[in-house]
Amino acid sequence: MKKSARENEMSVEKQTTQQIEVSRLSKFVNDIGIYGIVLLFIVLGVVLETTGVIKGFMSIRNMMNIIDAVAILGIAAVGLSFVPYSGSFNDMSIPTTMALTGIVAIQMLKYGFVVSLISALVVGIIIGSINGLTVGKLGVNPVIWTLAINYVTMGVIRLVWVNKQIYPDMMGASEQSIRLFDDIFRYRVFGVVGLPVVVLIVMVIIAQLVLSKTVFGFQIKFTGSSKLTAKLSGINVNKIVVIAFILSSLAATISGLMITSLGRVGAWYNGSGYDFKAMTAVVIGGTSLAGGRGSVIGVLGGAIVMGVMSNIMTLLGIGTFSQDMISGAIFILVVGINAKTLRNLGRDYA
Amino acid sequence: MSEDEISIALEMRGVSKRFPGTVAVNNVSFKVYPGEVHALVGENGAGKSTLMKILAGSFNDYTGDILINNKKVLLHTPFEARKNGIGMVYQELSLARPISIAENLLAGRLPKKRGFLDRRALYNESKRLLTIVGLENLDPWLPVEDLSQHEAQLVEIAKVLGTDPCILVMDEPTSALSQNEVKRLFGLIRNLRNNGIAIIYISHHLQEIFEIADRVTVMRDGKRVDTKDIAEVSHSDVVQMMIGRSIKEFYSREEREVSSDVLCRVSHLTRYGFFSDISFDVRRGEILGIGGLAGAGQTELARGMAGVDRTDEGTIEIDGKVLTSHSMRRRLDQGIAYLTDERKNGGLALRLPVDENILAPIINRYAQAGIYSKKKAEPVVVDSIKNLEIYPPDPSRTVGNLSGGNQQKVLLAKWLASAPKVLILNEPTRGVDIGAKETIHAAIERLAASGSSVILISSDLPELVSLSDRIVIMVNGRLTREMNYKECTEESVLLAANGEGGTEA
Repeated sequence: MKKSARENEMSVEKQTTQQIEVSRLSKFVNDIGIYGIVLLFIVLGVVLETTGVIKGFMSIRNMMNIIDAVAILGIAAVGLSFVPYSGSFNDMSIPTTMALTGIVAIQMLKYGFVVSLISALVVGIIIGSINGLTVGKLGVNPVIWTLAINYVTMGVIRLVWVNKQIYPDMMGASEQSIRLFDDIFRYRVFGVVGLPVVVLIVMVIIAQLVLSKTVFGFQIKFTGSSKLTAKLSGINVNKIVVIAFILSSLAATISGLMITSLGRVGAWYNGSGYDFKAMTAVVIGGTSLAGGRGSVIGVLGGAIVMGVMSNIMTLLGIGTFSQDMISGAIFILVVGINAKTLRNLGRDYA
Repeated sequence: MSEDEISIALEMRGVSKRFPGTVAVNNVSFKVYPGEVHALVGENGAGKSTLMKILAGSFNDYTGDILINNKKVLLHTPFEARKNGIGMVYQELSLARPISIAENLLAGRLPKKRGFLDRRALYNESKRLLTIVGLENLDPWLPVEDLSQHEAQLVEIAKVLGTDPCILVMDEPTSALSQNEVKRLFGLIRNLRNNGIAIIYISHHLQEIFEIADRVTVMRDGKRVDTKDIAEVSHSDVVQMMIGRSIKEFYSREEREVSSDVLCRVSHLTRYGFFSDISFDVRRGEILGIGGLAGAGQTELARGMAGVDRTDEGTIEIDGKVLTSHSMRRRLDQGIAYLTDERKNGGLALRLPVDENILAPIINRYAQAGIYSKKKAEPVVVDSIKNLEIYPPDPSRTVGNLSGGNQQKVLLAKWLASAPKVLILNEPTRGVDIGAKETIHAAIERLAASGSSVILISSDLPELVSLSDRIVIMVNGRLTREMNYKECTEESVLLAANGEGGTEA
């Protein structure tokens, strides 16, 4: 009787082994699969161009546009991805963090370029800390809380700058500082590669190393997979959550500086739409909203898909509102499919 | 009269239920007749609870046939189960605490008159149900949170009786009751039985079963071992069927050598509202058992010691040094580890592999400047898997895909890997099969033999009695009694936990 139970267990285990093999394959496809979609969209663009439906997709200028858009979105998305990875769902305060830090940087430019940058980063860290401390310590719902912070920050911008847009060359800053600020977006490393792309690539590499090699990376994955278990394993869950939100805000700050430098204007609308765009990039890149699953390479792929798709839609003459609608539909589709496959596989041990 | 002509309240024919990795209920057949109390016994993890969950309609993928009053039924949803006359009284109460007794009793079928709540009918029906369970003096408008545990338990039963069940399942109904309250409950059960209701009674307390049951079905490893008339069998027969061998073999253990120097000293430890003035010593190499009824404060004491919750007063010393920090991280580094009783809820990250689960508390020890070396940590994982016979022996296997017993081994491995001076174990073998249990017990004894102290909290009395060198008893948040190795028997612990027996402090 004992023996048959053992055999039974063996056959069950064998079955599970096969499941694991499949799941490893699907994990690989998950991580890399997004680049198949990237390829699909590029091919779509080329086909549309050669058949004469759109014009200028393959031009150097358009490619540069795509890369710039991907870089700004990618930077914000890579930072944001730490938040869902740690099990805190989403940081909704990205848009106004981008706007406010850009405005602060321009405001402080008269004290020199370095002071301007540092002020922007400090503001970013403050917003991230507030988000992280409240979500971590008080256990408030991260989505609701960061949404509220987004509105408060918007209020601060409207109150202090009274709806005015500010420009780097009208704030009494030196010629040199103004030029340096313009260069945040425009500087070409070795005269070829734009600074935003370089920053993005460096961020992706560092984030990948942090997640795979460091104690913090280990602990954030554990926290995201099961917060209570992490706490009962002696992991300082609050610290992990605070750091995740600070990383998100810092990345939003860098992204905000880029976009402010690009437009040469500090304005409340600078980051609008980036909350949803960044989250969509993170999610279609394979990061699970349930926490603890995802990869930085995937997030990068997600940002590229968003960039190329948006470019093609613009070339097709699809309006901004329709583009938003399509992004929203894709988000719903991806999250829905994700949740369903996990449930079907019975692997989503929440 | 042939058997076909007798009415059978419930018959199971070849019922099975498998989970990924285990067969929880394996081809079980048995019958329950109207007007009998049918006891269902077995060790933790024997499949009793799963079998009763099948009956309650929790699963839609069980196999085999279930017949109620000789008619085949499908119990794929709780609604179908209720419709077929099955009433469940669970160990954990399912009452909404801030809501009145009356509304709890008739939840889901509140009487209405012209679309509005009919308060008079609600009152009368509640009164009727409360009278059946002997609580006719209770005001039905009281909120449930104002009731004592005992009254709440009876209200729970009244609620189930309100659905007119022909089969009533009671899962450990006496776990929180005093002896007098148990006697009253038994009176109620006899009344129900005499009214022709079939009662399935699940309990760990053999004495209760011999007092109340007419027949007993024993389960082991998901299978039915046998069904007997209670008059035909003795206590030891039942235990033998439960554990599959003679009692002597299971309980045999030599008295361990325990050194005399104290490793951990707890003095006047208090957390307001949960436990107070707890003082005890644990010596090097000693296994100290903490016995008591569920909810007497053992879990809270363990959490307080481990730094999960803050304590309000008192001190903990390890090797003569008073612990100052309340953080769990610091306590862990100073040598206190705590194995939680909830494996799936705070014990293990089920989505992550075995190695990451084992390394979670100690990853810092393999790191330099924040970067850890997987290579350095690997031997610990491999050793843990070998020592605890974790099957399959694959560090990258997702923990959620392991069987319950192997998951529990991973949980223990996680804390053994931290090389604790004091290991607090809360229900270390809850819901595991007998093989895993033996492995876990051996590992605990090895840890003690290596000079660490073990504090063992367990509701599994045979386990508590056979492993502990000494047992202290907790009643209502206080230590009431200490028993040495010779005094520890299942009976003495149970009596003391109920606040009876000797009274020496």
